[in-house]
Amino acid sequence: MSRESPGERDVTPNAGRDSTRERDASPRAHRDTGHERDRLRVENLTTRFFTEEGQVNAVESVSFDVREDEILGIVGESGSGKSVTALSAIDLIESPGRVTDGEVWLREPDLAEEFRERTPDAVDGDFVDLRRLPKGVRRSLRGPKFSMIFQDPMSSFNPSLTVGEQIAEAVEVQRRASANPRSTRSRTQGYGLGKLIVDTLVPGREYTSDASRERAIELLEQVGIPDPVERADEYPHQFSGGMLQRAMVAQALAGEPDVLFADEPTTALDVTIQAQILDLLRDIQRDRGMSVVLITHDLGVIARMCDRVGVMYAGEVVERGSLADVFEQPTHPYTQGLLGSIPDVEDPAPRLQPIEGNVPNLVDSEMPDRCYFADRCPKAMEACLERPAERPVDGDPDHTARCVLADGEYDPATALPDDYFEEDPEATDAPAEGGAADD
Amino acid sequence: MISELFGWLFARLPFGDGLRGLVSPRTVRSLKRGLNRNALAKVGIVVVVIVLLVAVFAPLVAPDKPGTQNLEEARLPPLGFTKATVQEVPVQENGSVVFEDGEILTENRTVYENATIAHPLGTDGNGRDILSRLIYGARVSLLVGFLGTALAMFVGVSVGLVAGYYRGKVDDVLMRSADVMLAFPSIVLAIALIGVLGDSLEQSIPDPFVQSGLSEAVRSAIGLPTGMPETTTLPGTIIVVVALVNWVWFARVARGEALSLREQSYVKAARALGASDAKILARHVLPNAITPILVLGTIQIAAIILLESALSFLGFSSANVSWGFDIALGRQYQSTAWWIAAMPGLAIVITVVGLNLVGDWLRDALDPGIEGEGGV
Repeated sequence: MSRESPGERDVTPNAGRDSTRERDASPRAHRDTGHERDRLRVENLTTRFFTEEGQVNAVESVSFDVREDEILGIVGESGSGKSVTALSAIDLIESPGRVTDGEVWLREPDLAEEFRERTPDAVDGDFVDLRRLPKGVRRSLRGPKFSMIFQDPMSSFNPSLTVGEQIAEAVEVQRRASANPRSTRSRTQGYGLGKLIVDTLVPGREYTSDASRERAIELLEQVGIPDPVERADEYPHQFSGGMLQRAMVAQALAGEPDVLFADEPTTALDVTIQAQILDLLRDIQRDRGMSVVLITHDLGVIARMCDRVGVMYAGEVVERGSLADVFEQPTHPYTQGLLGSIPDVEDPAPRLQPIEGNVPNLVDSEMPDRCYFADRCPKAMEACLERPAERPVDGDPDHTARCVLADGEYDPATALPDDYFEEDPEATDAPAEGGAADD
Repeated sequence: MISELFGWLFARLPFGDGLRGLVSPRTVRSLKRGLNRNALAKVGIVVVVIVLLVAVFAPLVAPDKPGTQNLEEARLPPLGFTKATVQEVPVQENGSVVFEDGEILTENRTVYENATIAHPLGTDGNGRDILSRLIYGARVSLLVGFLGTALAMFVGVSVGLVAGYYRGKVDDVLMRSADVMLAFPSIVLAIALIGVLGDSLEQSIPDPFVQSGLSEAVRSAIGLPTGMPETTTLPGTIIVVVALVNWVWFARVARGEALSLREQSYVKAARALGASDAKILARHVLPNAITPILVLGTIQIAAIILLESALSFLGFSSANVSWGFDIALGRQYQSTAWWIAAMPGLAIVITVVGLNLVGDWLRDALDPGIEGEGGV
């Protein structure tokens, strides 16, 4: 595998991917029935924020899997826990938040081999559970295995360094990480704080190596930045938003990640630039066989980009499945409501049908012990007064919904009256403050 | 003329390359713009540069040795002044004193002493040249000012960045200890610390101009007295003490900056790319927090020079040439020879005002709130 030489890798961009494929071909036994093309399996991930107002259940027992060479969409309203889910998966949750439960299984055969003896709990076949690995190892996986693109390109670059330098530094760090994957000390050898201080203060010395800077320029070229050589020496404020988002993609690609989380990558951009960035993301994803987790509130983006979709509501994944399953046979009334609230060019309905009400407050003490959507659900039944489990829709394990309707029928006889939830004013009048935990 | 000089200087300062990553070109631009609009800033820079040059080249520019006593010439007034003293002198007739009722007959006579060009700022109570003492005193004051500020900045910024970046318990422990430091009046705290440290950190550093013989050669060539002191006192204790008293301000500013910068997307992005905390602090937090820290630094130099003078005045410094020490010496001559105390006082005022003007210029040019353009 040509990990060290960027030039060579570009000639054969699929070199790394092909060897992954070869490994896949060998038969392998899993403890559970995960999909064999899974690259990342998130199981029962639960993240809580311990704030002064109380415990906020930002992410509640979320499960999803990311397969190789696909784009998984996560869609939901503001405050539904999309971003926190992504940050939890790559271990970037900070105090007062904490991932309290769940497993994040990453397919990483080398690491699995290494930890099989030491911590058997953390290994399952070729998969390792990130949450059970030591902190240093987790950090070494960020960059070469996972990477993340953020919402606002303008604030995602350090204003005091040139764009080229920032990308080159990412390349440099990743290169060292893949050369010394397990040892933090050898990774920073000759590249630590001392060198940083000397190279910053002594005129004419560069912190990054020539090879890394060349690679940074290549990356800028790959993401479609014109005149990459000149642009690399410019500062972030000299870039436009769209260009910066491209540079952000280049930086995220510096470590050749297997899984790229894109957290609302186009929200801050205007529509034409959005389309360009999305095309770029998809092209790069296809070229490299990368897995992308695309977080957005824009159903149009999901429909255009994704292979599979997870719909989030109040910190839970309420429905997930392939794009066709979710968009054409939405099962959860929330998904139906979301799809019903976008205008259709071909069949312009007289009125759009918004979902009444707001996302509930995610403060633990105010969370009802029932389906979180029941108070806004047009099909709420008595069965909805219990917390529904995630269950397959019509027996299809790849299409699940957290709803009694997944394997049952709507029964008007047990339907709850419209004003059922209004008796308790606190349950419905509470403002939707859950958004604070999300963004 | 002066603007051209500054333009020339700016083109040659290492902002472009050496400090890349610490100071952005945008910062340099707003610094230049601030300078063009602010004439006082130029005055401040000129004052500070002159004081710095004089301090560095003291053995070459001082008209006399700072320690040479000459009681014949004690308490000479500065140039432009004449000292008139009324003295009681014996009445003399034919070269002998006159007795009256068994006592020597005296009369009151006004005695005039004129300033001499050899002592442009006059002489002190022991006949030492005040200008030479001010020039050597500048060394002590600036050494303490700059080194003390650098040490305070290093300690304070390290503590503040760590506290602001990690928040939580780390923040509580570090900042509460900083608050404890703040609870004491700075002079009292400094005196207590001097009591603990003693003069264990005092150093004599050789003066390169004297050691190399350069100053002797130059001085004898232009006819100035030779034999300048071969060493300069480095008041280590005072430097450490003023740093320990003043680091808190840097810690508070750095903490505030770190608290806001840690939430920036680029810090998150760096973490998502696997950067370590130390790398993030050095590469992403510190460079973007440096502006207010530098501004505070220029103001702290002035404050520390004042603190050093106060400590010397109170006799807590082992330096025997220092502005504060000289004010203390001049205190007893307040009514008869005001210049002995006033000249070092004036030196302190001019230097501190100059430093504050530079600090104001930096703050105005770099504060994003004033021009709407970020200082980062």
